[in-house]
Amino acid sequence: MARSILVIGAGVAGLAAAWSAARRGARVTVISAGVGETALAGGAVDDVPWEQLERAARLLGSDLPAGDLAPAMRQFAAELGLWDVPQATGVRLATVAGRIRPARGRDRALLDLTPLRRTRVLIPRAARAAWDADALAEALTDEPFARARGLRFLPVDAPVLRFDDERRIADGDLAARHDDPARLSWLLERLRQALDGAGGAGAILLGPWLGARAPRAEALAARLGVPVGEALIGAGSPAGLRFEAARDALLAAIGAPRRHGRVRAVGGGHGGPGEPGEGVAVHVEGEDVPLAADAVILAVGGLAGGGIAYAPPERFAGPDLPARGAAPFALSIEAPVTMGDARGAFGVVSSMQGPELDVIAWPRGERPGALEAVGVRCEGVRAAPGILAAGATLAGRARTVLDAVTTGLRAGAEA
Amino acid sequence: MTILPSSAARPARRADTDVDVVVIGGGVNGVGVARDASQRGLKVALFERNDLAFGASGNSSGMIHGGLRYLTSDPHVTENSCRDSGHIQAIAPHLLFRIPFLVPFENARHGRILYTLADGFFEAYDKYQPLKRGKPHARLSPDELRRLEPGLHGDLVGGFSFDEWGIDGARLCIANAVDAIERGARVYVGHTVERIERREDTGEVVAVRYRDRVTGEGGRLRTSTVVNATGAWSPITASLAGLPASSSRVRPGKGVHVVFDRRLTNYAIMSKTIDGRQIFVEPWENMSVVGTTDDDFYGDLDQVRATSEEVRYLIQGIARVFPQIHEARAIGTFAGVRPTLYAYGPTEDALSREHQVIDHAAHGAPGLYSMIGGKLASFRLFAQEMTDVLARRFDLGARCVTHTTALPGGDRAVDALALSRRLEIDAVAARRLVYRHGSRALRIEERVRERPREAATVCPCEPVIEAEVRYVLRHELARSVADVARRTRLGLGACGGMRCAARCGQIVAQELSLPPRDGMRQAMEFLSRQAMTRAVALGPEQARQEALAIASVRSELGAPADDGMTAAACEDGDRRSTRPAREPEERAWRDRSS
Ligand SMILES: Cc1cc2nc3c(=O)[nH]c(=O)nc-3n(C[C@H](O)[C@H](O)[C@H](O)COP(=O)(O)OP(=O)(O)OC[C@H]3O[C@@H](n4cnc5c(N)ncnc54)[C@H](O)[C@@H]3O)c2cc1C
Ligand SMILES: Cc1cc2nc3c(=O)[nH]c(=O)nc-3n(C[C@H](O)[C@H](O)[C@H](O)COP(=O)(O)OP(=O)(O)OC[C@H]3O[C@@H](n4cnc5c(N)ncnc54)[C@H](O)[C@@H]3O)c2cc1C
Repeated sequence: MARSILVIGAGVAGLAAAWSAARRGARVTVISAGVGETALAGGAVDDVPWEQLERAARLLGSDLPAGDLAPAMRQFAAELGLWDVPQATGVRLATVAGRIRPARGRDRALLDLTPLRRTRVLIPRAARAAWDADALAEALTDEPFARARGLRFLPVDAPVLRFDDERRIADGDLAARHDDPARLSWLLERLRQALDGAGGAGAILLGPWLGARAPRAEALAARLGVPVGEALIGAGSPAGLRFEAARDALLAAIGAPRRHGRVRAVGGGHGGPGEPGEGVAVHVEGEDVPLAADAVILAVGGLAGGGIAYAPPERFAGPDLPARGAAPFALSIEAPVTMGDARGAFGVVSSMQGPELDVIAWPRGERPGALEAVGVRCEGVRAAPGILAAGATLAGRARTVLDAVTTGLRAGAEA
Repeated sequence: MTILPSSAARPARRADTDVDVVVIGGGVNGVGVARDASQRGLKVALFERNDLAFGASGNSSGMIHGGLRYLTSDPHVTENSCRDSGHIQAIAPHLLFRIPFLVPFENARHGRILYTLADGFFEAYDKYQPLKRGKPHARLSPDELRRLEPGLHGDLVGGFSFDEWGIDGARLCIANAVDAIERGARVYVGHTVERIERREDTGEVVAVRYRDRVTGEGGRLRTSTVVNATGAWSPITASLAGLPASSSRVRPGKGVHVVFDRRLTNYAIMSKTIDGRQIFVEPWENMSVVGTTDDDFYGDLDQVRATSEEVRYLIQGIARVFPQIHEARAIGTFAGVRPTLYAYGPTEDALSREHQVIDHAAHGAPGLYSMIGGKLASFRLFAQEMTDVLARRFDLGARCVTHTTALPGGDRAVDALALSRRLEIDAVAARRLVYRHGSRALRIEERVRERPREAATVCPCEPVIEAEVRYVLRHELARSVADVARRTRLGLGACGGMRCAARCGQIVAQELSLPPRDGMRQAMEFLSRQAMTRAVALGPEQARQEALAIASVRSELGAPADDGMTAAACEDGDRRSTRPAREPEERAWRDRSS
C-alpha cells in the first residue's frame, strides 16, 4: 500500500512537500488552518535575502550571482505556473518603498526591470492611499541600478481607476476587478493613451492591482507591446491570492485533497521513515478521532505564519512572578520536537524578564532577528521519528520562498 | 524666581553682540522663554541639539496637572498650577483634552480610613478646579465604579473621579517655537552648543560656539546672556561654560511609558505598583498610555529607552486593577528623563517648588542662567519668571503677556467636520489635523486647495495627510522622518511606521532637497529605532505582527538597520578598507550558495 503522508500547512513549503511526496506515489492529504506567510507576501521569489545577495555581489565586484535551479525545483515552478524564475539569472523588482531590488524570481504580475536599458518607465498617478507616483518615480530614478541602466521613472496622468470607490478599496479587490477581461481591455486602452501621451516608453509600472486569481500582467503587456507590471509591496499583496489559486489548482492536479482544520497535537510516531510502525497520530481541533498517517510533515510556518507562538511565561502570572528559565517560544502544535535558532536551543527567556529582546528581536545587518530565526530544530528536515519539518517552521534558515520550496521538496522526498 | 542675588551689571542691549539672549535647549522651558523674551522685544537665538521636544517635553505623561501633589504641603502651589493650567487652555485650547480619572480603593488594611481621608483631600482640590475649568470630584461606590469602567477588578471599597487635562507635549513645544520664530527669534534645531565662552577677567558670557550635527559645520554667536534650559542635560551644559556640574544640579529621573493601540478605558485609572508607587493607565489621544517609572539615570541622554523590566513592572501594577491589560496590544514604549530639582532648595520658599532659576553670577559667570526642574503644566509660569529676570537685566519695561496671547493655532476654533468635507478627507483625519494645528489647519487646507493630490493619506493609522507632512517640514523645522513623527504622530500608531515611513522619507527628501536615498535611510533608521522601543513590550499578540513587519520591511526596503545602503554610498571611497573585515561573511555566503 502507498505510504500515507499528512502535510500540515498549505503555504509554499507544504505545497512543495505535498507535490514531491505525491510524485513518489504517496497518498497525500494537506490540512491547514488558514492564511500563512506565503499568502501575505508580495510575490518576490528569493533564495537568499536580497540584501545579502547585493552585499555579496558588491564584495565580489561581480554581477549578482544566481545559481542554476535544481531540476525538481524547476519542474515544481513550471507546474505551479505562477512564477517566472529564470534559469541562471535573477530579476529586478521595483518596490513601493522606492527601491530597486534583485530577486531570484517573481510572481508573473510583477514588473521585471532587468531587460530595460536607456528608457523611460511610466508610473500612472492614482488617488490611492499607498500610491504616490511622483515620490516613487523620484526615488526609483535615484536608485543605483536605474542610474547604471539609464532608466528614468516618470509619473504620468493616466486614469487607471475606473470607479470612484477604487480610491479606497483594498489592493486585492482592485486586483480582482482586472480578472475581468473587459476591464483589462479598458485598462489596456488607458495605458495605450498614456504611452501615446508620453511619446512612448520602455515599460509601465502599476500598483499591485493586476489580477487576484491569476497574474494578468503578461496578457496586458503582450497586447500593449511594452512590459507592464506591478511594483512589489511588502505585505498584503494580491500575490498571496494568486498563490492560493495556483496552489489549489496544483493540489487538485496531483490529487491531494486539502482540508481545513487546526492541528492541536502530533505524536506517537514509532518507526522512522521507511520503517513499518504504527504511524503518527494527528489531533485536530474539534475532532475526537485523530487522523493517522505514516509520516507527518510540519509546514506550519514560523512566527509570522502562525506556526510558532510567542508565550512569555509571566503572561499568565498573578502577582507572583514566575522564575526565570522558561523558553518563551513554542510550536503552536504540541509535538515531540525541540525549538531553537541557528545557534542551537533558544536562549531568550522572555521579553519582560531578561535577555534583551529589544536588541535581538529585529535583524541587524548580518544577523537575522530572533523572531525570524526561531523554529524547530532538525537533522536536515527530520524533527522526530515520523515527523519532518519544512519551510519557515525550521530553525535558523533563510525566510524565503525558494528556501521553503527546497526544504519542502526534500521533506516530501524523505517522508 | 531667583534664589541667588542677580548680578550688579545690567547690560542694556549691546552693539557687540549678535543676539541679546541665547537659549540652549528646545524643550518646553527653552521654547517658552524664547517665546516670552521675543514677545518682550529681546533678540533671541535658540539652539536645540536634537529636535524640539526630543527630551522630557516630548516624552512626558502628557498631562497638565493641577498640582494635586502640593495640596497638603503648599496649597498656594496648587492654586498657581491650576491657574496656569487655565492659562494654557486659554492660549492653546485646541491642544487640550479632558482626562477624567478614577481612583479605585482596594479593600485592604486601612482601606476605609484612607478612603475617607482621600475624600476630604479631593474636596479640597475641588476648590481650585474652576480655575482650570475642571469638574469637581465624585465619590463612587464599587458598583458605580464598575459601571463606569467595567474592566475594573478587585475587592474595592469605593473610589473617586477627578479631572485633569491632557496635552501633546511635542505640539506644545512646536507652537511655542513657531510663535517665537514669528516674533523674530532664530531657532536652530539639530545644532548643539559646544562651548559657552566667557571673559577671562570678569567671567561674563560673551558668546556660544555651536555645531550643526548633520553637516558638521560650526559657528559662533556673540551674546551677553545665555539661558541653560537643557533639562536633564543641565549639568553638562553648565560645564560647557567651565562651571562645575554641581552648579546646575538635577536629579535625572528616568520615566517610561507603554503605549497601547487604542483607548482601552473610558477613564484614566490609578493603580499601585508592587512597591506602592502610583501609576496609571490613561486614554491619551487615540491610544492608551501606561506610566510611569522614576529611576535615577546616568546613561546617554540622547539614547534613553525603556527596558523589558520597566515594562513588566508597569504592566504588573496596572493588572492589579485592570487585568485586561494583559490582553491588550502594546505598540510601543517611550522614555524620558525628568530634570527634577536635585534637592529641595535652602529657603522656605523653594521647599515646595517644582522649579528654580539659577543665576550663575554666584558661580562667577554673570549672564548665565539655568532653569531647573519644571513641568509641562507650569512651563509658562517658569518661562515668565525667567524672562522677568532677563527683563530686569536688559532694563525692559515690557510685561509678560504670554498668558493672554494665543499660541499659533489657538486663536479660533475650526470646525473639523466642515474641513473634512471641504478637503474630502476622512473625518477622523480632519479632527486629528485640527487637534494638532488648531486654526493653522486652515493653512494646510490652503496647500491642498492649490495641490489637491496632497490630500492623500500618508499614514493611515494616525491618520496623516501629505499636505501636513510637507507643512511641518516647511514651517515647523522638521528635518527627518523622526521629526515628522514627533510633530504629527505619523508612524507612531499600530503599524509602527511600516506603511508610511518610506513614503515619508521620500517626502522629506523632496522638501529638503536631499537625495532620495537619504530619505530612505532615514525611514529605515526610524523603523529600526521604533522596533527597538516596541520589542521590550512585545506580548504574544504582538509577536506575530512584529515578525510580519520584519518580513515586510525586508521585502520592500532591505534588512532594517542594514549597513548596505551606507556601504553602497561610500563604496568607491573605501572599498579596500572594508574588504578584509567582510571576508568571513563572503565565505559564509559562498558556503551557503554551494
Ligand atoms: C510580509 C512578508 C513578506 C515576505 N517577502 C518575501 C520576499 O520578498 N521574498 C521571499 O522569498 N520571501 C518572502 N517572505 C517569506 C516567505 O513568504 C516565507 O518564508 C514562506 O512563504 C514560508 O512558507 P511556509 O510554507 O513555510 O509557511 P506559511 O506560508 O506561513 O504556511 C504555514 C501554513 O501552516 C498553516 N498552519 C499553521 N499552524 C497550523 C495548525 N496548527 N494547524 C494547521 N495548519 C496550520 C497555516 O494556516 C499556513 O497555511 C515574506 C513573508 C512575509 C510574511
Ligand atoms: C516620564 C515623564 C513624565 C512626565 N509627566 C509629566 C506630566 O504628565 N505633566 C507635566 O506637566 N510634566 C511631566 N513631566 C515633566 C516634564 O516633561 C518636564 O519637566 C519638562 O518637559 C522639562 O522640560 P525642559 O525644557 O526643561 O527639558 P527637556 O524637554 O528635556 O529639553 C531639554 C532639551 O535640551 C536639549 N539639549 C541638551 N543639551 C544641549 C546642547 N548642548 N545644545 C543644545 N541643546 C541641548 C535636549 O536635546 C533637549 O531637547 C514628565 C517627565 C517625564 C520624564
